[in-house]
Amino acid sequence: MLKIRDICKVFNHIKILKNISLDIKKSSIFGIAGPSGCGKSTFLRCIQKLECFDQGTIECKGRTGFMFQDFQLFPHMTVLQNLIYAPSLKNKGGKTDCKKQAEDILNNLGIASKINEYPSSLSGGQKQRVALARSLMAKPDILLCDEPTSGLDVSTIMDVIFLLKSVNKQLNITIIIASHDLDFLTKISDRIILLKGGEIAVDINPLTCDMPVDFLKKYY
Amino acid sequence: MNKIISNFLYVGSGIGLTLKLTFGGVCIGVTGGILLSILRYSTIGKPIVNAIISILRGTPLLLQLSFIYFITPSIVGFRLDLLAAGTLAFGVNSSAYIAEIFRAGIESLPKGQFEAAQTLEIPRFYMWKDIILPQVMINIFPAMINEIIALLKETVLIAMIGGMDIMRRAQTIAVEQYEYFMPLCIAGTYYYGLVLLIGFIGKKIENRKFYAKNS
Repeated sequence: MLKIRDICKVFNHIKILKNISLDIKKSSIFGIAGPSGCGKSTFLRCIQKLECFDQGTIECKGRTGFMFQDFQLFPHMTVLQNLIYAPSLKNKGGKTDCKKQAEDILNNLGIASKINEYPSSLSGGQKQRVALARSLMAKPDILLCDEPTSGLDVSTIMDVIFLLKSVNKQLNITIIIASHDLDFLTKISDRIILLKGGEIAVDINPLTCDMPVDFLKKYY
Repeated sequence: MNKIISNFLYVGSGIGLTLKLTFGGVCIGVTGGILLSILRYSTIGKPIVNAIISILRGTPLLLQLSFIYFITPSIVGFRLDLLAAGTLAFGVNSSAYIAEIFRAGIESLPKGQFEAAQTLEIPRFYMWKDIILPQVMINIFPAMINEIIALLKETVLIAMIGGMDIMRRAQTIAVEQYEYFMPLCIAGTYYYGLVLLIGFIGKKIENRKFYAKNS
């Protein structure tokens, strides 16, 4: 699904990513862990082409969607407008089809009642769901999530785990998550890499690894 | 008393020209300012825009007005009338300042708003029109009101090329009646009233903002 070879990224003469090579399987949930500044977000941004890389190749089969750490919802638009604006520009069928699709997605994510609200009136967890819904409107094959649990409480984090897992299973979407929250990553991911100093320090399957959180902490 | 009323009416008949110049200047200024600030984000446009803004801000408005009114006929072959020349000069000059206001507004938005638009594959035109500029307009609104007020007061320069605006009419009365206090007070009252009106309308519009800035 995603073939990454020898990716290097340099910022101000500092190598943020050093020859990262990976293959990510279709329909998997892939976790990228690591301390702040290790290059997790940069790596995701390179996949999404928000960042140019200096060396290497990324072969991506399918469309990508991106969920930002701070959601980046458009504050002057309602939830519905946030969801349908981009698709309705491409969809010749117009806004009606998009609206129907948006309502279905919001229903599935349990925030249909917020459809006409502005982002400023939503809680962190609700914004998270709207951001997820907006990404899903583009029908992505790969969903890239940058720190999806930052600033969320424990129960909302559990909701995020449930939501992302159900999106992964029901829609067959490959999910790549960058997070420093090891507990969250081990609960949700099929495979986790830990980046340190721009390199892959560990590559594990949390389902087969004994005490994955403790194991990853050793390399932090 | 009759003299005061007739002076008041005479000076007041210059409001039309002042308002036409201000309104026309704001229209040209906002349009030009938006275009300049967007062009600044293109690789080729940036140095050209920077040069234009530098020249417009670096030379006196009176010089620009005189240039358009007196020099343009020898270049384009016809003379612009006083209102057209004034509107053009005030608008073009204002566009440089408005472009800077827009730049501040655009730079105050999180970079993520541009990236979100890019990620959602929103074409550049729609990104500017529907995502970036509506947010920028709200952020820069108070500064824009300031610029409109400044422009209103700068229109007094039209008197230098013969325009009979509020100020020029007050000066005419002063010269004719050898009395400066009354006509200048009348002109001041008109200008202050117009500034208060612009401020009042601005506040009304500002209060209608329907969402909190920070999502």
